[in-house]
Amino acid sequence: MNQVIEAAGLTKWYGKRRGILDLDFDVQPGEVFGFLGPNGAGKTTTIRLLLGFLRPSGGHASVLGLDCWRQASQAHAGIAYAGSDPGYLGELTAGAQLDYLARLRGLAPGAWRTVAERLALDPDVPVKKLSRGNRQKVGVVQAFMGREPLLVMDEPTSGLDPLMQREFLALVAEARADGRTVFLSSHNLPEVERACDRVGIIRDGRLVEVSTVAGLLASHWRSVSLVLEVPPPVGMFDLPNVRVATSSARDVHLMVQGDVNPLLRRLATIEVRDVSITTLEMEDVFLRLYDGSTPEPDGEPAGDAGPAPDRGPAPERGSGVDRDAGAAEAGR
Amino acid sequence: MSAAFRLELRRGRMLVLWMGLVTVLYAGGITLFYPTILKNAAEFEKLLQVYPKELMAAFGIEGSLGDQGTFFNSYVFQFLWPLVAAIAAILLATRVAADADRGFLDLPLATPLPRLRYLAASIAGQAIAIAAISAVMIGSILAVDLVIEPNLETGRLILSGVHALAFGLAIAGVTTFLAVVFLDRGRAGGLMAGILIVMYLLNVIAQLSPDLATLARLSAFHYFNVKPLIDAGTYPLGDSLLYLGFGVVGWLLALAAFRRRDLTA
Repeated sequence: MNQVIEAAGLTKWYGKRRGILDLDFDVQPGEVFGFLGPNGAGKTTTIRLLLGFLRPSGGHASVLGLDCWRQASQAHAGIAYAGSDPGYLGELTAGAQLDYLARLRGLAPGAWRTVAERLALDPDVPVKKLSRGNRQKVGVVQAFMGREPLLVMDEPTSGLDPLMQREFLALVAEARADGRTVFLSSHNLPEVERACDRVGIIRDGRLVEVSTVAGLLASHWRSVSLVLEVPPPVGMFDLPNVRVATSSARDVHLMVQGDVNPLLRRLATIEVRDVSITTLEMEDVFLRLYDGSTPEPDGEPAGDAGPAPDRGPAPERGSGVDRDAGAAEAGR
Repeated sequence: MSAAFRLELRRGRMLVLWMGLVTVLYAGGITLFYPTILKNAAEFEKLLQVYPKELMAAFGIEGSLGDQGTFFNSYVFQFLWPLVAAIAAILLATRVAADADRGFLDLPLATPLPRLRYLAASIAGQAIAIAAISAVMIGSILAVDLVIEPNLETGRLILSGVHALAFGLAIAGVTTFLAVVFLDRGRAGGLMAGILIVMYLLNVIAQLSPDLATLARLSAFHYFNVKPLIDAGTYPLGDSLLYLGFGVVGWLLALAAFRRRDLTA
Protein backbone atom coordinates (compact mmCIF):
# COMPACT_ATOMS: atom_id res chain seq x y z
CA MET A 1 0.00 0.00 0.00
CA ASN A 2 1.61 3.26 -1.12
CA GLN A 3 -1.33 5.61 -0.73
CA VAL A 4 -3.87 5.75 2.04
CA ILE A 5 -6.63 6.66 -0.39
CA GLU A 6 -6.58 6.00 -4.10
CA ALA A 7 -9.36 6.87 -6.53
CA ALA A 8 -9.13 6.11 -10.21
CA GLY A 9 -11.88 7.13 -12.60
CA LEU A 10 -14.28 7.09 -9.67
CA THR A 11 -17.78 7.77 -10.92
CA LYS A 12 -21.21 7.68 -9.34
CA TRP A 13 -24.57 8.15 -10.99
CA TYR A 14 -27.85 8.16 -9.09
CA GLY A 15 -29.98 6.90 -11.92
CA LYS A 16 -29.71 9.73 -14.43
CA ARG A 17 -28.58 12.23 -11.83
CA ARG A 18 -24.91 13.04 -11.63
CA GLY A 19 -23.02 12.21 -8.48
CA ILE A 20 -19.33 12.44 -9.31
CA LEU A 21 -17.52 11.93 -12.57
CA ASP A 22 -14.18 10.34 -13.24
CA LEU A 23 -12.34 11.37 -10.08
CA ASP A 24 -8.62 10.62 -9.94
CA PHE A 25 -6.75 11.46 -6.79
CA ASP A 26 -4.71 9.96 -4.02
CA VAL A 27 -3.95 10.83 -0.44
CA GLN A 28 -0.51 10.15 0.96
CA PRO A 29 0.18 8.65 4.38
CA GLY A 30 0.37 11.30 7.10
CA GLU A 31 -1.18 13.96 4.91
CA VAL A 32 -4.11 16.24 5.73
CA PHE A 33 -6.07 16.40 2.51
CA GLY A 34 -8.79 19.01 2.14
CA PHE A 35 -11.70 18.29 -0.13
CA LEU A 36 -13.37 21.49 -1.15
CA GLY A 37 -16.46 22.29 -3.08
CA PRO A 38 -19.80 24.06 -2.92
CA ASN A 39 -23.00 22.33 -1.89
CA GLY A 40 -23.98 19.64 -4.34
CA ALA A 41 -20.52 19.43 -5.86
CA GLY A 42 -20.09 15.79 -4.91
CA LYS A 43 -18.06 15.93 -1.70
CA THR A 44 -20.42 13.77 0.32
CA THR A 45 -20.87 11.34 -2.56
CA THR A 46 -17.10 10.92 -2.73
CA ILE A 47 -16.86 10.31 0.99
CA ARG A 48 -19.70 7.80 0.91
CA LEU A 49 -17.96 5.96 -1.91
CA LEU A 50 -14.75 5.89 0.11
CA LEU A 51 -16.66 4.49 3.08
CA GLY A 52 -18.32 1.83 0.95
CA PHE A 53 -21.80 3.21 1.55
CA LEU A 54 -22.24 3.62 -2.19
CA ARG A 55 -21.24 1.30 -4.98
CA PRO A 56 -19.26 3.05 -7.73
CA SER A 57 -20.94 3.30 -11.14
CA GLY A 58 -17.48 3.30 -12.62
CA GLY A 59 -13.84 3.40 -11.65
CA HIS A 60 -12.33 2.23 -8.44
CA ALA A 61 -11.47 3.47 -4.99
CA SER A 62 -9.39 1.92 -2.28
CA VAL A 63 -8.67 2.89 1.30
CA LEU A 64 -5.64 1.51 3.13
CA GLY A 65 -5.13 -0.84 0.21
CA LEU A 66 -8.63 -2.32 0.49
CA ASP A 67 -11.41 -2.00 -2.04
CA CYS A 68 -13.90 0.50 -0.68
CA TRP A 69 -16.98 -1.44 -1.78
CA ARG A 70 -16.01 -5.11 -1.58
CA GLN A 71 -13.89 -4.87 1.56
CA ALA A 72 -15.70 -2.05 3.27
CA SER A 73 -15.94 -3.48 6.76
CA GLN A 74 -12.26 -4.52 6.76
CA ALA A 75 -11.31 -1.05 5.58
CA HIS A 76 -13.44 0.49 8.34
CA ALA A 77 -11.13 -1.05 10.92
CA GLY A 78 -8.65 1.64 9.90
CA ILE A 79 -11.07 4.54 9.50
CA ALA A 80 -12.60 6.99 11.94
CA TYR A 81 -15.50 8.91 10.41
CA ALA A 82 -17.42 12.03 11.29
CA GLY A 83 -20.32 13.25 9.18
CA SER A 84 -21.60 16.76 8.62
CA ASP A 85 -24.74 16.18 10.64
CA PRO A 86 -24.03 13.39 13.10
CA GLY A 87 -26.97 11.13 13.62
CA TYR A 88 -28.34 10.11 16.95
CA LEU A 89 -30.52 7.64 18.70
CA GLY A 90 -33.16 9.37 20.73
CA GLU A 91 -32.74 6.79 23.44
CA LEU A 92 -29.05 7.42 24.08
CA THR A 93 -27.06 10.08 25.87
CA ALA A 94 -23.97 11.40 24.14
CA GLY A 95 -21.81 9.25 26.39
CA ALA A 96 -23.85 6.10 25.76
CA GLN A 97 -23.79 6.68 22.02
CA LEU A 98 -20.04 7.23 22.09
CA ASP A 99 -19.58 4.10 24.20
CA TYR A 100 -21.65 2.10 21.73
CA LEU A 101 -19.59 3.30 18.78
CA ALA A 102 -16.36 2.79 20.77
CA ARG A 103 -17.29 -0.86 21.38
CA LEU A 104 -18.02 -1.37 17.69
CA ARG A 105 -14.56 0.00 16.94
CA GLY A 106 -12.91 -2.21 19.54
CA LEU A 107 -12.20 0.70 21.89
CA ALA A 108 -12.71 0.70 25.63
CA PRO A 109 -15.86 2.37 26.94
CA GLY A 110 -15.00 5.91 27.95
CA ALA A 111 -12.25 6.19 25.33
CA TRP A 112 -13.93 9.41 24.29
CA ARG A 113 -13.63 11.25 27.62
CA THR A 114 -10.40 13.15 26.98
CA VAL A 115 -11.57 14.54 23.65
CA ALA A 116 -15.03 15.26 25.05
CA GLU A 117 -13.49 17.32 27.84
CA ARG A 118 -11.42 19.28 25.35
CA LEU A 119 -14.55 20.10 23.39
CA ALA A 120 -16.60 20.78 26.55
CA LEU A 121 -19.17 18.15 25.62
CA ASP A 122 -21.64 17.13 28.31
CA PRO A 123 -21.89 13.33 27.89
CA ASP A 124 -24.95 12.96 30.10
CA VAL A 125 -27.40 14.77 27.85
CA PRO A 126 -29.39 12.73 25.29
CA VAL A 127 -27.98 13.49 21.87
CA LYS A 128 -31.49 14.25 20.68
CA LYS A 129 -31.66 17.21 23.07
CA LEU A 130 -28.30 18.66 22.15
CA SER A 131 -28.03 21.80 20.05
CA ARG A 132 -26.73 21.54 16.50
CA GLY A 133 -23.26 22.61 17.58
CA ASN A 134 -23.12 20.23 20.52
CA ARG A 135 -24.34 17.39 18.36
CA GLN A 136 -21.54 18.23 15.97
CA LYS A 137 -19.14 17.92 18.89
CA VAL A 138 -20.34 14.33 19.39
CA GLY A 139 -19.31 13.63 15.81
CA VAL A 140 -15.89 15.20 16.26
CA VAL A 141 -15.30 13.38 19.55
CA GLN A 142 -16.31 10.13 17.92
CA ALA A 143 -13.81 10.70 15.09
CA PHE A 144 -10.91 11.50 17.39
CA MET A 145 -11.55 9.01 20.20
CA GLY A 146 -9.61 6.18 18.53
CA ARG A 147 -6.22 5.74 16.92
CA GLU A 148 -7.30 4.69 13.43
CA PRO A 149 -4.71 5.59 10.78
CA LEU A 150 -7.27 7.43 8.62
CA LEU A 151 -9.77 10.10 9.64
CA VAL A 152 -12.52 10.84 7.15
CA MET A 153 -14.57 13.89 8.00
CA ASP A 154 -17.40 15.48 6.07
CA GLU A 155 -17.77 19.14 7.01
CA PRO A 156 -17.09 18.33 10.66
CA THR A 157 -17.01 21.92 11.92
CA SER A 158 -20.32 23.15 10.55
CA GLY A 159 -22.21 24.39 13.57
CA LEU A 160 -19.16 24.59 15.84
CA ASP A 161 -18.36 27.92 17.46
CA PRO A 162 -14.98 29.55 16.65
CA LEU A 163 -13.44 28.32 19.88
CA MET A 164 -14.38 24.74 19.10
CA GLN A 165 -13.29 25.15 15.50
CA ARG A 166 -9.89 26.12 16.82
CA GLU A 167 -9.85 23.07 19.09
CA PHE A 168 -10.82 20.95 16.12
CA LEU A 169 -7.89 22.32 14.13
CA ALA A 170 -5.61 21.50 17.06
CA LEU A 171 -6.91 17.93 17.05
CA VAL A 172 -6.23 17.67 13.33
CA ALA A 173 -2.72 19.00 13.85
CA GLU A 174 -2.12 16.43 16.58
CA ALA A 175 -3.41 13.66 14.36
CA ARG A 176 -1.03 14.75 11.63
CA ALA A 177 1.84 14.90 14.12
CA ASP A 178 0.98 11.30 15.08
CA GLY A 179 1.36 10.29 11.45
CA ARG A 180 -2.34 9.77 10.88
CA THR A 181 -3.93 10.71 7.60
CA VAL A 182 -6.89 13.08 7.44
CA PHE A 183 -9.40 13.46 4.62
CA LEU A 184 -11.32 16.62 5.41
CA SER A 185 -14.27 17.75 3.35
CA SER A 186 -15.25 21.35 3.82
CA HIS A 187 -16.40 24.51 2.17
CA ASN A 188 -14.70 26.58 4.80
CA LEU A 189 -11.59 27.81 2.98
CA PRO A 190 -9.82 29.40 5.97
CA GLU A 191 -10.22 26.14 7.89
CA VAL A 192 -8.73 24.18 5.02
CA GLU A 193 -5.93 26.69 4.67
CA ARG A 194 -4.98 26.19 8.29
CA ALA A 195 -5.38 22.44 8.49
CA CYS A 196 -4.46 20.93 5.15
CA ASP A 197 -1.33 20.07 3.27
CA ARG A 198 -3.08 19.58 -0.03
CA VAL A 199 -6.54 20.25 -1.33
CA GLY A 200 -8.73 18.82 -4.02
CA ILE A 201 -11.48 21.00 -5.42
CA ILE A 202 -14.60 19.41 -6.78
CA ARG A 203 -17.20 21.20 -8.77
CA ASP A 204 -20.21 19.80 -10.62
CA GLY A 205 -19.00 16.32 -9.76
CA ARG A 206 -15.59 16.77 -11.33
CA LEU A 207 -12.26 17.23 -9.68
CA VAL A 208 -11.02 20.51 -11.10
CA GLU A 209 -7.95 21.06 -9.01
CA VAL A 210 -5.56 19.15 -6.78
CA SER A 211 -3.02 21.45 -5.28
CA THR A 212 -0.97 22.26 -2.24
CA VAL A 213 -2.50 24.86 0.01
CA ALA A 214 0.25 27.26 -1.00
CA GLY A 215 -0.67 26.69 -4.61
CA LEU A 216 -4.31 27.33 -3.91
CA LEU A 217 -3.57 30.46 -1.93
CA ALA A 218 -1.49 31.77 -4.77
CA SER A 219 -4.39 31.29 -7.12
CA HIS A 220 -7.08 33.16 -5.24
CA TRP A 221 -7.68 36.74 -4.24
CA ARG A 222 -8.20 38.42 -0.90
CA SER A 223 -10.01 41.65 -0.34
CA VAL A 224 -8.08 44.26 1.65
CA SER A 225 -9.90 47.37 2.88
CA LEU A 226 -7.82 50.24 4.21
CA VAL A 227 -8.64 53.50 5.95
CA LEU A 228 -5.55 55.69 5.81
CA GLU A 229 -4.62 58.76 7.80
CA VAL A 230 -3.79 60.64 4.60
CA PRO A 231 -4.38 59.84 0.91
CA PRO A 232 -1.76 57.36 -0.31
CA PRO A 233 1.18 58.51 -2.40
CA VAL A 234 1.05 57.78 -6.12
CA GLY A 235 2.26 54.26 -6.90
CA MET A 236 1.85 53.17 -3.29
CA PHE A 237 0.10 49.93 -4.32
CA ASP A 238 2.02 49.19 -7.49
CA LEU A 239 2.80 45.59 -6.70
CA PRO A 240 2.59 42.63 -9.07
CA ASN A 241 -0.07 40.83 -7.06
CA VAL A 242 -2.11 43.85 -5.94
CA ARG A 243 -4.95 45.58 -7.79
CA VAL A 244 -6.75 48.70 -6.63
CA ALA A 245 -10.43 47.90 -6.78
CA THR A 246 -11.73 51.24 -5.46
CA SER A 247 -10.00 54.28 -4.04
CA SER A 248 -11.49 57.47 -2.67
CA ALA A 249 -9.21 59.79 -0.71
CA ARG A 250 -8.26 57.81 2.39
CA ASP A 251 -10.44 54.72 1.75
CA VAL A 252 -8.78 52.13 -0.41
CA HIS A 253 -10.07 48.72 -1.42
CA LEU A 254 -7.46 46.38 -2.80
CA MET A 255 -7.50 42.89 -4.25
CA VAL A 256 -4.43 40.83 -3.36
CA GLN A 257 -3.53 37.58 -4.99
CA GLY A 258 -1.45 35.14 -2.99
CA ASP A 259 1.25 36.41 -0.67
CA VAL A 260 0.18 39.48 1.33
CA ASN A 261 3.64 40.20 2.80
CA PRO A 262 4.84 42.63 0.08
CA LEU A 263 1.69 44.68 0.61
CA LEU A 264 2.09 44.60 4.39
CA ARG A 265 5.65 45.86 4.04
CA ARG A 266 4.39 48.77 1.97
CA LEU A 267 1.65 49.54 4.46
CA ALA A 268 4.22 49.66 7.26
CA THR A 269 5.66 52.78 5.67
CA ILE A 270 2.44 54.83 5.97
CA GLU A 271 -0.07 55.64 8.70
CA VAL A 272 -2.99 53.26 8.58
CA ARG A 273 -6.08 53.93 10.70
CA ASP A 274 -7.84 50.66 9.98
CA VAL A 275 -7.31 47.56 7.91
CA SER A 276 -9.40 44.47 7.22
CA ILE A 277 -8.43 41.46 5.15
CA THR A 278 -11.23 39.24 3.97
CA THR A 279 -10.63 35.75 2.70
CA LEU A 280 -12.99 35.04 -0.12
CA GLU A 281 -15.71 32.47 0.23
CA MET A 282 -15.27 29.24 -1.63
CA GLU A 283 -17.94 30.23 -4.06
CA ASP A 284 -16.03 33.42 -4.88
CA VAL A 285 -12.91 31.42 -5.56
CA PHE A 286 -14.86 29.23 -7.89
CA LEU A 287 -16.27 32.23 -9.65
CA ARG A 288 -12.80 33.61 -10.04
CA LEU A 289 -11.23 30.40 -11.20
CA TYR A 290 -13.91 28.89 -13.37
CA ASP A 291 -16.52 31.42 -14.33
CA GLY A 292 -14.27 34.35 -14.97
CA SER A 293 -16.05 36.57 -12.43
CA THR A 294 -14.05 38.98 -10.36
CA PRO A 295 -14.23 38.23 -6.67
CA GLU A 296 -15.78 41.21 -4.98
CA PRO A 297 -16.87 40.58 -1.39
CA ASP A 298 -19.04 43.68 -1.36
CA GLY A 299 -20.49 42.91 -4.73
CA GLU A 300 -19.10 45.95 -6.50
CA PRO A 301 -17.52 45.38 -9.86
CA ALA A 302 -13.78 45.64 -10.00
CA GLY A 303 -12.05 47.97 -12.33
CA ASP A 304 -13.84 51.20 -11.56
CA ALA A 305 -10.85 52.71 -9.88
CA GLY A 306 -8.13 50.37 -10.98
CA PRO A 307 -7.22 47.78 -13.51
CA ALA A 308 -9.12 44.51 -13.50
CA PRO A 309 -6.93 41.56 -12.67
CA ASP A 310 -5.70 39.57 -15.58
CA ARG A 311 -7.46 36.29 -15.06
CA GLY A 312 -5.51 34.07 -17.33
CA PRO A 313 -6.67 30.67 -18.52
CA ALA A 314 -9.07 28.61 -16.44
CA PRO A 315 -7.74 25.26 -15.29
CA GLU A 316 -8.68 22.28 -17.32
CA ARG A 317 -11.80 20.62 -15.90
CA GLY A 318 -11.76 17.08 -14.75
CA SER A 319 -8.12 16.56 -15.39
CA GLY A 320 -7.55 15.55 -11.79
CA VAL A 321 -3.82 16.08 -12.17
CA ASP A 322 -1.74 17.54 -9.41
CA ARG A 323 -1.43 21.21 -10.09
CA ASP A 324 0.99 22.39 -7.47
CA ALA A 325 2.69 24.60 -9.95
CA GLY A 326 -0.30 25.15 -12.18
CA ALA A 327 -2.40 26.50 -9.34
CA ALA A 328 0.08 29.25 -8.74
CA GLU A 329 -0.15 30.14 -12.37
CA ALA A 330 -3.91 30.09 -12.56
CA GLY A 331 -5.36 33.56 -12.68
CA ARG A 332 -2.13 35.36 -13.36
CA MET B 1 -23.34 -10.79 22.83
CA SER B 2 -22.39 -8.10 20.35
CA ALA B 3 -22.70 -4.40 21.06
CA ALA B 4 -25.14 -4.04 18.17
CA PHE B 5 -27.41 -6.76 19.56
CA ARG B 6 -27.25 -5.33 23.07
CA LEU B 7 -28.24 -1.95 21.70
CA GLU B 8 -31.19 -3.50 19.85
CA LEU B 9 -32.38 -5.12 23.06
CA ARG B 10 -31.99 -1.84 24.89
CA ARG B 11 -33.89 0.03 22.19
CA GLY B 12 -36.72 -2.49 22.34
CA ARG B 13 -37.28 -2.16 26.08
CA MET B 14 -39.71 0.74 26.06
CA LEU B 15 -41.73 -0.67 23.20
CA VAL B 16 -42.03 -4.02 24.94
CA LEU B 17 -42.94 -2.26 28.16
CA TRP B 18 -45.76 -0.19 26.63
CA MET B 19 -47.09 -2.90 24.36
CA GLY B 20 -46.85 -5.35 27.24
CA LEU B 21 -48.81 -2.98 29.42
CA VAL B 22 -51.52 -2.67 26.78
CA THR B 23 -51.78 -6.44 26.39
CA VAL B 24 -51.79 -7.02 30.15
CA LEU B 25 -54.58 -4.52 30.65
CA TYR B 26 -56.65 -5.70 27.71
CA ALA B 27 -56.01 -9.46 27.64
CA GLY B 28 -56.01 -9.72 31.42
CA GLY B 29 -59.08 -7.54 31.67
CA ILE B 30 -61.06 -9.39 29.04
CA THR B 31 -60.13 -12.70 30.67
CA LEU B 32 -61.67 -11.45 33.91
CA PHE B 33 -64.96 -11.17 32.03
CA TYR B 34 -64.83 -14.70 30.68
CA PRO B 35 -66.57 -16.38 33.65
CA THR B 36 -69.43 -13.88 33.36
CA ILE B 37 -69.71 -14.48 29.63
CA LEU B 38 -69.62 -18.22 30.23
CA LYS B 39 -72.41 -18.09 32.80
CA ASN B 40 -74.58 -15.94 30.56
CA ALA B 41 -73.61 -17.45 27.21
CA ALA B 42 -77.20 -18.00 26.09
CA GLU B 43 -78.16 -14.37 26.70
CA PHE B 44 -75.05 -13.16 24.96
CA GLU B 45 -75.86 -15.29 21.94
CA LYS B 46 -79.29 -13.73 21.71
CA LEU B 47 -77.70 -10.31 22.02
CA LEU B 48 -75.14 -10.99 19.32
CA GLN B 49 -77.83 -12.15 16.92
CA VAL B 50 -79.13 -8.58 16.96
CA TYR B 51 -75.85 -7.27 15.53
CA PRO B 52 -75.26 -7.30 11.79
CA LYS B 53 -73.45 -10.25 10.29
CA GLU B 54 -70.76 -7.91 8.97
CA LEU B 55 -69.86 -6.81 12.49
CA MET B 56 -69.49 -10.38 13.65
CA ALA B 57 -67.29 -11.09 10.65
CA ALA B 58 -65.20 -8.04 11.36
CA PHE B 59 -64.47 -9.29 14.87
CA GLY B 60 -64.11 -12.91 13.81
CA ILE B 61 -66.94 -14.04 16.06
CA GLU B 62 -68.23 -17.42 15.01
CA GLY B 63 -69.91 -19.79 17.42
CA SER B 64 -70.79 -19.30 21.06
CA LEU B 65 -68.83 -16.81 23.11
CA GLY B 66 -69.04 -19.29 25.94
CA ASP B 67 -66.51 -21.45 24.10
CA GLN B 68 -62.98 -20.66 25.13
CA GLY B 69 -61.87 -20.85 21.50
CA THR B 70 -64.47 -18.42 20.22
CA PHE B 71 -64.01 -16.02 23.12
CA PHE B 72 -60.24 -15.74 23.08
CA ASN B 73 -59.96 -16.03 19.32
CA SER B 74 -62.44 -13.17 18.87
CA TYR B 75 -61.46 -10.81 21.66
CA VAL B 76 -57.74 -11.40 21.99
CA PHE B 77 -56.18 -13.17 19.03
CA GLN B 78 -58.17 -11.62 16.21
CA PHE B 79 -58.65 -8.21 17.77
CA LEU B 80 -55.89 -7.27 20.21
CA TRP B 81 -53.00 -9.22 18.78
CA PRO B 82 -53.19 -8.06 15.15
CA LEU B 83 -53.14 -4.45 16.36
CA VAL B 84 -50.35 -4.98 18.87
CA ALA B 85 -48.32 -7.20 16.55
CA ALA B 86 -48.68 -4.83 13.61
CA ILE B 87 -47.69 -1.76 15.62
CA ALA B 88 -44.78 -3.48 17.33
CA ALA B 89 -43.53 -5.23 14.20
CA ILE B 90 -43.73 -2.10 12.07
CA LEU B 91 -41.98 0.05 14.67
CA LEU B 92 -39.29 -2.54 15.25
CA ALA B 93 -38.76 -3.56 11.65
CA THR B 94 -38.53 -0.02 10.29
CA ARG B 95 -35.74 0.89 12.72
CA VAL B 96 -33.10 0.50 10.05
CA ALA B 97 -34.99 3.06 7.96
CA ALA B 98 -35.48 5.31 10.99
CA ASP B 99 -31.75 5.10 11.67
CA ALA B 100 -31.12 6.19 8.09
CA ASP B 101 -33.65 9.03 8.46
CA ARG B 102 -31.87 10.30 11.57
CA GLY B 103 -28.41 9.92 10.08
CA PHE B 104 -27.52 7.33 12.68
CA LEU B 105 -27.08 4.44 10.27
CA ASP B 106 -23.78 5.84 9.00
CA LEU B 107 -22.19 5.71 12.41
CA PRO B 108 -22.22 1.96 13.16
CA LEU B 109 -21.75 1.12 9.50
CA ALA B 110 -18.59 3.24 9.35
CA THR B 111 -17.07 0.91 11.96
CA PRO B 112 -15.82 -2.63 11.28
CA LEU B 113 -19.36 -3.88 11.94
CA PRO B 114 -20.51 -5.48 8.66
CA ARG B 115 -23.88 -4.44 7.28
CA LEU B 116 -25.21 -7.98 7.59
CA ARG B 117 -24.41 -8.17 11.28
CA TYR B 118 -26.00 -4.80 11.92
CA LEU B 119 -29.26 -5.86 10.29
CA ALA B 120 -29.09 -9.34 11.77
CA ALA B 121 -28.87 -7.78 15.24
CA SER B 122 -31.93 -5.69 14.42
CA ILE B 123 -33.81 -8.79 13.21
CA ALA B 124 -32.91 -10.71 16.36
CA GLY B 125 -34.10 -7.76 18.40
CA GLN B 126 -37.42 -7.74 16.53
CA ALA B 127 -37.98 -11.44 17.10
CA ILE B 128 -37.18 -11.22 20.79
CA ALA B 129 -39.35 -8.16 21.37
CA ILE B 130 -42.36 -9.67 19.56
CA ALA B 131 -41.87 -12.95 21.41
CA ALA B 132 -41.76 -11.04 24.69
CA ILE B 133 -45.00 -9.19 23.94
CA SER B 134 -46.67 -12.43 22.87
CA ALA B 135 -45.48 -14.09 26.08
CA VAL B 136 -46.78 -11.19 28.15
CA MET B 137 -50.16 -11.49 26.44
CA ILE B 138 -50.46 -15.20 27.12
CA GLY B 139 -48.98 -14.77 30.59
CA SER B 140 -51.56 -12.15 31.51
CA ILE B 141 -54.39 -14.46 30.41
CA LEU B 142 -52.94 -17.36 32.39
CA ALA B 143 -52.26 -15.14 35.40
CA VAL B 144 -55.89 -14.04 35.49
CA ASP B 145 -56.89 -17.67 34.98
CA LEU B 146 -55.40 -18.41 38.39
CA VAL B 147 -58.17 -16.39 40.03
CA ILE B 148 -61.14 -17.29 37.83
CA GLU B 149 -63.26 -20.33 37.22
CA PRO B 150 -63.24 -22.45 35.12
CA ASN B 151 -59.60 -23.16 34.37
CA LEU B 152 -58.47 -22.35 30.86
CA GLU B 153 -56.59 -24.69 28.54
CA THR B 154 -53.07 -23.57 29.52
CA GLY B 155 -51.11 -25.63 27.00
CA ARG B 156 -53.39 -24.66 24.14
CA LEU B 157 -53.20 -20.99 25.04
CA ILE B 158 -49.40 -21.18 25.09
CA LEU B 159 -49.47 -22.78 21.64
CA SER B 160 -51.83 -20.02 20.53
CA GLY B 161 -49.16 -17.60 21.68
CA VAL B 162 -46.64 -19.41 19.49
CA HIS B 163 -48.98 -19.06 16.51
CA ALA B 164 -49.47 -15.40 17.37
CA LEU B 165 -45.70 -14.98 17.46
CA ALA B 166 -45.43 -16.50 13.98
CA PHE B 167 -48.05 -14.01 12.77
CA GLY B 168 -46.06 -11.11 14.24
CA LEU B 169 -42.81 -12.38 12.76
CA ALA B 170 -44.38 -12.52 9.31
CA ILE B 171 -45.28 -8.84 9.56
CA ALA B 172 -41.82 -8.04 10.88
CA GLY B 173 -40.04 -9.95 8.11
CA VAL B 174 -41.95 -8.33 5.28
CA THR B 175 -41.69 -4.90 6.90
CA THR B 176 -37.93 -5.28 7.33
CA PHE B 177 -37.63 -5.94 3.63
CA LEU B 178 -39.72 -2.88 2.78
CA ALA B 179 -37.70 -0.78 5.23
CA VAL B 180 -34.45 -1.84 3.58
CA VAL B 181 -35.82 -1.24 0.09
CA PHE B 182 -37.14 2.26 0.84
CA LEU B 183 -34.83 3.24 3.73
CA ASP B 184 -37.69 5.52 4.69
CA ARG B 185 -39.66 4.69 7.81
CA GLY B 186 -42.77 6.55 6.70
CA ARG B 187 -43.01 4.82 3.33
CA ALA B 188 -42.17 1.34 4.61
CA GLY B 189 -44.41 1.54 7.65
CA GLY B 190 -47.24 3.18 5.74
CA LEU B 191 -47.12 0.60 2.98
CA MET B 192 -47.13 -2.29 5.43
CA ALA B 193 -49.98 -0.76 7.40
CA GLY B 194 -51.90 -0.29 4.15
CA ILE B 195 -51.30 -3.90 3.13
CA LEU B 196 -52.55 -5.11 6.51
CA ILE B 197 -55.67 -2.96 6.36
CA VAL B 198 -56.46 -4.24 2.87
CA MET B 199 -55.92 -7.82 4.04
CA TYR B 200 -58.15 -7.27 7.03
CA LEU B 201 -60.93 -5.89 4.83
CA LEU B 202 -60.51 -8.76 2.36
CA ASN B 203 -60.94 -11.22 5.20
CA VAL B 204 -64.10 -9.49 6.39
CA ILE B 205 -65.56 -9.14 2.90
CA ALA B 206 -64.83 -12.79 2.15
CA GLN B 207 -67.04 -13.82 5.07
CA LEU B 208 -70.05 -11.89 3.83
CA SER B 209 -70.82 -14.05 0.80
CA PRO B 210 -69.82 -17.53 -0.36
CA ASP B 211 -69.01 -16.02 -3.77
CA LEU B 212 -66.30 -13.89 -2.18
CA ALA B 213 -64.92 -16.61 0.06
CA THR B 214 -61.81 -17.19 -2.03
CA LEU B 215 -60.68 -13.61 -1.35
CA ALA B 216 -59.92 -14.68 2.20
CA ARG B 217 -56.98 -16.72 0.97
CA LEU B 218 -55.23 -13.48 0.04
CA SER B 219 -55.43 -12.28 3.60
CA ALA B 220 -52.94 -13.06 6.35
CA PHE B 221 -55.80 -12.80 8.83
CA HIS B 222 -57.54 -15.76 7.23
CA TYR B 223 -54.78 -18.04 8.50
CA PHE B 224 -54.82 -16.55 11.98
CA ASN B 225 -57.56 -18.52 13.69
CA VAL B 226 -56.74 -20.22 16.97
CA LYS B 227 -60.31 -21.33 17.74
CA PRO B 228 -59.70 -24.94 16.61
CA LEU B 229 -56.46 -24.97 18.60
CA ILE B 230 -58.04 -23.77 21.86
CA ASP B 231 -61.22 -25.78 21.46
CA ALA B 232 -59.85 -29.01 20.00
CA GLY B 233 -56.11 -28.85 20.43
CA THR B 234 -55.45 -28.82 16.68
CA TYR B 235 -52.32 -26.77 16.14
CA PRO B 236 -52.38 -24.85 12.80
CA LEU B 237 -48.90 -26.00 11.88
CA GLY B 238 -49.29 -25.20 8.18
CA ASP B 239 -50.47 -21.69 8.92
CA SER B 240 -47.68 -21.13 11.43
CA LEU B 241 -45.11 -22.34 8.91
CA LEU B 242 -46.64 -20.08 6.28
CA TYR B 243 -46.21 -17.09 8.58
CA LEU B 244 -42.70 -18.12 9.52
CA GLY B 245 -41.93 -18.61 5.84
CA PHE B 246 -43.00 -15.05 5.05
CA GLY B 247 -41.03 -13.75 7.99
CA VAL B 248 -37.84 -15.63 7.20
CA VAL B 249 -38.01 -14.93 3.47
CA GLY B 250 -38.65 -11.26 4.21
CA TRP B 251 -35.62 -11.11 6.47
CA LEU B 252 -33.39 -13.00 4.03
CA LEU B 253 -34.42 -10.69 1.20
CA ALA B 254 -33.82 -7.73 3.48
CA LEU B 255 -30.33 -8.98 4.35
CA ALA B 256 -29.51 -9.57 0.69
CA ALA B 257 -30.82 -6.15 -0.32
CA PHE B 258 -29.14 -4.35 2.57
CA ARG B 259 -25.79 -5.91 1.76
CA ARG B 260 -25.82 -4.61 -1.78
CA ARG B 261 -27.84 -1.43 -1.75
CA ASP B 262 -26.50 2.11 -1.82
CA LEU B 263 -26.79 3.99 1.43
CA THR B 264 -27.38 7.53 0.29
CA ALA B 265 -27.06 10.49 2.62
